[in-house]
Amino acid sequence: MTDTQEKKLHGVYAEFDAVDTLLAACRRVRDAGYTRTDAYTPFPVHGIEKALGIRPTALPWIVLGCGLTGSAIGICMQVWMNGINYPYIISGKPFYSIPAFIPVTFELTILLSAFGAFFGMLALNRLPKFSNPVFTSPRFDRATDDKFFLYIDASDPRFDHNGVTRLLGDIGGTEIQDVYEDNSSTRVPTAIKVAFGVLAFLAIVPLLAVARMRVTNSPNPRFHVFYDMDFSPAKGPQTTSTLFADGRAMRPDVPGTVAVGQFDEDPNFYTGVDLDELARRDQTRAVHLVRTMQVPEAEAAPASGDQPAAETPWLAKNPRPVSLALLERGRMQFEIYCATCHGNDGRGRGLVTARAQQILSSAWVQPSSLHQETLYQDVYPDGKLFSVISNGIRKMGGYGSQISVRDRWAVVAYVRALQLSQNAALEDLPVNRRNDLSRRKAEVEQQLAEQAEAERRRAEEAAGTTTAPAAEEAAPAPAETPAEAAAPAPVTPEQPAATEPAPAPATEAAPAEPAPAADAEMEAAATPAAEPAPATEPAPATEPAPATEPEPATEPAPAAEPAPAPASEPEPTPSPEPAPATEPAPEPAPATEPEPAAEPEPEPAPATEPQPETEPASEPEADAEPAEEPAAAS
Amino acid sequence: MSLAITQGLDNTVERPGERAPLVLGDSTYHSITESVSQIAERPPSKAWVVGLMVSAALASWFGICIAYLIYTGVGVWGNNSPVFWGWPIVNFVFWVGIGHAGTLISAILYLFRQDWRTSINRAAEAMTIFAVVCAATFPGIHVGRAWLAFWLAPYPSLNLWVWPQFRSPLLWDVFAVSTYGTVSLLFWYMGMIPDLATFRDRSRNKWRRMAYGILSLGWSGSSRHWMRYEKAYALLAALAAPLVLSVHTIVSFDFAVSQVPGWHTTIFPPYFVAGAIFSGFAMVLTLMVPARSIFSLEKLITVRHLDNMCKIILATGTIVGLAYGTEFFIAWYGQVTEEKFAFINRAFGPYWWAYWTMITCNVISPQLFWFKANRTIPWRIVVISIFVNIGMWFERFVIVITSLSRDYLPSSWAYFSPTWVDWSMLIGSFGLFFTLFLLFCRFMPVINMAEVKATLAGQLHHSQHGDI
Repeated sequence: MTDTQEKKLHGVYAEFDAVDTLLAACRRVRDAGYTRTDAYTPFPVHGIEKALGIRPTALPWIVLGCGLTGSAIGICMQVWMNGINYPYIISGKPFYSIPAFIPVTFELTILLSAFGAFFGMLALNRLPKFSNPVFTSPRFDRATDDKFFLYIDASDPRFDHNGVTRLLGDIGGTEIQDVYEDNSSTRVPTAIKVAFGVLAFLAIVPLLAVARMRVTNSPNPRFHVFYDMDFSPAKGPQTTSTLFADGRAMRPDVPGTVAVGQFDEDPNFYTGVDLDELARRDQTRAVHLVRTMQVPEAEAAPASGDQPAAETPWLAKNPRPVSLALLERGRMQFEIYCATCHGNDGRGRGLVTARAQQILSSAWVQPSSLHQETLYQDVYPDGKLFSVISNGIRKMGGYGSQISVRDRWAVVAYVRALQLSQNAALEDLPVNRRNDLSRRKAEVEQQLAEQAEAERRRAEEAAGTTTAPAAEEAAPAPAETPAEAAAPAPVTPEQPAATEPAPAPATEAAPAEPAPAADAEMEAAATPAAEPAPATEPAPATEPAPATEPEPATEPAPAAEPAPAPASEPEPTPSPEPAPATEPAPEPAPATEPEPAAEPEPEPAPATEPQPETEPASEPEADAEPAEEPAAAS
Repeated sequence: MSLAITQGLDNTVERPGERAPLVLGDSTYHSITESVSQIAERPPSKAWVVGLMVSAALASWFGICIAYLIYTGVGVWGNNSPVFWGWPIVNFVFWVGIGHAGTLISAILYLFRQDWRTSINRAAEAMTIFAVVCAATFPGIHVGRAWLAFWLAPYPSLNLWVWPQFRSPLLWDVFAVSTYGTVSLLFWYMGMIPDLATFRDRSRNKWRRMAYGILSLGWSGSSRHWMRYEKAYALLAALAAPLVLSVHTIVSFDFAVSQVPGWHTTIFPPYFVAGAIFSGFAMVLTLMVPARSIFSLEKLITVRHLDNMCKIILATGTIVGLAYGTEFFIAWYGQVTEEKFAFINRAFGPYWWAYWTMITCNVISPQLFWFKANRTIPWRIVVISIFVNIGMWFERFVIVITSLSRDYLPSSWAYFSPTWVDWSMLIGSFGLFFTLFLLFCRFMPVINMAEVKATLAGQLHHSQHGDI
């Protein structure tokens, strides 16, 4: 007893057996004015907050705050990481794709709220607290079993030891006991200290090792726990592998499979070589050819070396049946890949060549003209041409990787047609076409003569009122008839007047224009018959001409003269389009004029005149196109 | 002050104007403490020791397999083109689903004031934690280079400051499962604090008292503490309830957000959640029915508890069956060729056996719970619940494997075959699960004593008023 008297009194508790008696006692204690009271129960007793006067907790607000923090962290983290710091483009979603950010935001809201609820509860309860005076009382163990305790703290303002003890007895409490401050040692047992010390040391060893390694240098290579995971044994071509019985890293095709793009029922089709014949002559080369599916340049051009086996049995004839569609396809591919160097006509004067000449490039090798006799089909087999397209020759690179096999054969067919067209005599044409061509030739010649005459006359006259007579020539004829045929012209909305004369020159110019446009095509002869075709063309062509030429706005007559000049300018660059380029010539003047000039009537006439001039003008510059005309015409 | 309640009372019968008792026998507060604490205080029974040895052996084998996998590479699994999500993901989804019952019982039934939850929530929550442990293992090792799994965290990896891709359901999954695991753990642990204090106060051994003393954080049972504790518990329940629903929803997004026929359906979230509750309750029954008889807890885990859980299984099983039917209907109604094929292939393709196992176990077997005898005779409950567990594993198998093995490109179709490592890991994960659960039964309060006592207090209160 002396021992307990030395200790400071902490409080007094009474024991109860049931919830109802406890609640009643609590009310009595509260009514007696005690505030520093508490009840200890094995389970939560409902109604005890009121009975003891316990204030509600602020915990829900803590949880709300944590939850809002979680939401904010979630949304900000995702927006910052995926939208700002390292913007990810994922299936075209916006960087701030809020719907996709909802799940993680939700989870973080819940997570932080839960932390708030749990740790907030512990903090408000001041837990963990391992030393509690009430635990010193042995009976108190039953507070977590089946007994209920009402406790009055000694620090209560109304606390009076005897009074409290009496009160607790009065309200039905049994086992009323004093609780003293816990003065027992709070020293941690040595064994635990040792254990923690050892654990802490062990835990710090890896950290120390890492720290040491970071500040020291080592000549040894980096340590890899799983070397083959850090450096996967990905095998390159032509390397060995232990994984396969044959030791090869590259695997042959599975029998019966066809790789993409390698569907070659007929290897000849892919090489341009008669492989059966080659196999008869040189088995090794044939096998090599079938393996690689391409002919090395040296073999494609046996001229470079005279090996005994140089004679390659090229396919003499294009394996693809020649049709209009095939030629069209070939022309498309030719103009995409070949014409830049070889030119649309195949004479080796493409854009790149022209540019090389312009800048006087010394490195440029003039591409071969495709119209040399050594390249004709009878001496230069189709297969060889195919191989050259595929693999290149001399300075020319191979186009096998760009043009598909089928298209390469189409190009071969087109080149043959080009050769034919550029070297054909009139007798080579079908009879019905010859007449067309003769008539057209006559028309063109007459037209040229007329235009030369008109030009001459016009040049004679002064710059003043020359337009009137000129207008009489061209204007009367088309005056009414083309009124409705002029439908395409209104596309350029300003000049209704300009459209009227347009058809007249159009018919004349027609034979001249489409011919170069259609290049070497045999059908070219058929197209000039269609007048509307050129009539429609001027519409688009009008725009570039006035755009490049600001002058026409000044005066009709001078306007007509500069017109040919701008018309001829575009030609050198887009060589394949002389046809539309010549036509705009009549238009630019009227196109810009109608507003300044009140009477547009006379203008069209001079506008029509220069047109013939454009052709001669264009001839010396881009002789590729006119060259075809005589060829086709003669 | 204890009030005797008829010992042999059939508490599955509803009596008008009365609440069926949830604590049977002449239980008192003290007897509840005794019956739960004695499990941890008495020397372990032979059955427990044998069970622990077997399951620990399996768990060790699981660990060895994981070591072998990490050392060798994921090629030891049967995963191969086109089934790259093989058994690891099947097992992951299966275990996550199992893990849903615990928090559902704790949170949702708590919010609905279903008092019968008090006897089963502790074990169910523990089961949830252990199932989530098993579940989390699989994606962790499925990433292939498990030592780099920390890249899943919002960490600027590769020294390139490349962050995780937050528009991917797989990353949502990381957050959902880890949040779920954490919150479930908090919920479980917080619920145990008063009971750990009970264990502490009953301990006569110094070390034991110290261990439980640390775990119980100095809980004294103060009314102020209880008030805040109850508030925190209610808040956690309110937070955990949507969380439970979100977790399997997000797991289902792993599938539904992809474009694989058979996965790309909007029914997945509700269907997965129903399936998760279904499988979770089945696992609770599988564990609790034997445990209740081994540990003599029949007075606390009464037939009424089992009956209620069987009814939940019946309800969720019927929802799952309806979902299977709806999937088929939508596949037909949607008229997407691949989708139609995917479902016909499920039922009649090379995996027909898995599909019909699933249908038998998940749709037909729970219907047996319409009969009261099947809901009240323990061994029948165990058999049916095991069938449900098998069926739910097969459901995940059917979803993952059949959809992947035959998708859009017929040339890449292939038949999935598991390897011995796959089998070992499936069985080993059960070993891990049972090891953890047996350890829990031995050392932790299996039943929430404080809440059962509160239920008993309410029961006494009501019966007193009935008497008056």
